[in-house]
Amino acid sequence: MSLLTVLYVLLFYAAAVIFVVGLGRKIWQFATVPAPLKIPTTPAPTTRGGVALRIAREVALFESLFKSNRWIWVFAVLFHAGLLLVVVRHLRYFTEPVWGVVTLAQPFGIYGGMAMVVGLLGLWARRAVVDRVRYISSPSDHLMLALLVAIGATGLGMKYVLHTDIVQIKAFTLGLLYFDWRPLPGDPLLLLHLGLVALLMIVFPFSKLLHAPGVFFSPSRNMVDNPRETRHVAPWAAPLDAARDR
Amino acid sequence: MMRLTGGLLLVGLALGAVPVSAGDGVPLPTPARGKGTQCVEPTDTMRRYHMDYLLHQRDETVHRGIRGTKYALKDCVECHATPDPRPEVRALTLYGFCKECHDYAAVSIDCFGCHTPVSASSEGGSQ
Repeated sequence: MSLLTVLYVLLFYAAAVIFVVGLGRKIWQFATVPAPLKIPTTPAPTTRGGVALRIAREVALFESLFKSNRWIWVFAVLFHAGLLLVVVRHLRYFTEPVWGVVTLAQPFGIYGGMAMVVGLLGLWARRAVVDRVRYISSPSDHLMLALLVAIGATGLGMKYVLHTDIVQIKAFTLGLLYFDWRPLPGDPLLLLHLGLVALLMIVFPFSKLLHAPGVFFSPSRNMVDNPRETRHVAPWAAPLDAARDR
Repeated sequence: MMRLTGGLLLVGLALGAVPVSAGDGVPLPTPARGKGTQCVEPTDTMRRYHMDYLLHQRDETVHRGIRGTKYALKDCVECHATPDPRPEVRALTLYGFCKECHDYAAVSIDCFGCHTPVSASSEGGSQ
């Protein structure tokens, strides 16, 4: 096995551990941090079922962004929906035999890749063109967009310009899952693509991309609007309450 | 942060302890071997670019009438057709060659919507 393969195998195992452990810790923190106040953004649902529906709409359709800024919403949907199709297309590298739906979705994954890059470039233009957004943009905002654009561009580059041996790549990725390591083709675009993806996995738990799990824990979105029907007491405040009532 | 570093160290040690050829083995495609020892380009190149050669050749042939160049689907069939693995098909076809990797990578083939994957040499009733 070549040094290159060994390096990438170790890189991906390390990236996977950092991603899973880091994300798990972060989700644990989101789930346990106190939410002392009842602060749903009104108008808000008055039942738990309604709240589930509201979060589902927020996650799937970006409802609040739609209400606040239409053109940003368009680029955001282009990116996220494109990314979803791209992920489905890439499932072919992780399943054997490949699922029927994934086979059918292959061509849509390519359009997804294009939509993803267009959406990202739109969101990046926003950071350069809109004065007040440019003013509050930090280096990490730009670097995250650059990283995602580079991943998309190298992926499309392999599809349209410099091909690589995808059968060998699938053997490599399955090898990671089976602990039976197979050689990685040495094509530069592929190495760049995979390296950037590993980098994305590593920075994910420390970055703004945490909005993905975070949206589910947003108090202004996940609270039921029933402050008069049910008194809201944070778990840490309950003993204080009980002591006062005594 | 300390705990994270400790966890990584542990995983590193565990990885080091796993033998290099552990596991049941990765499923791999097993395309049938063609005739001869060498395709029209080196194997690595063919694996990456055969689709481009065929598509380009299609345009050359259909639009400009250029035939007889290095890349021709007919020649693919001549070298790579093997006895079809399906019992009901008694002919030399590309089934055992193309389909293996194309199924593995979930890439559909549209060559054979129009062209035949059956080798001319199987039509003489040799099967």
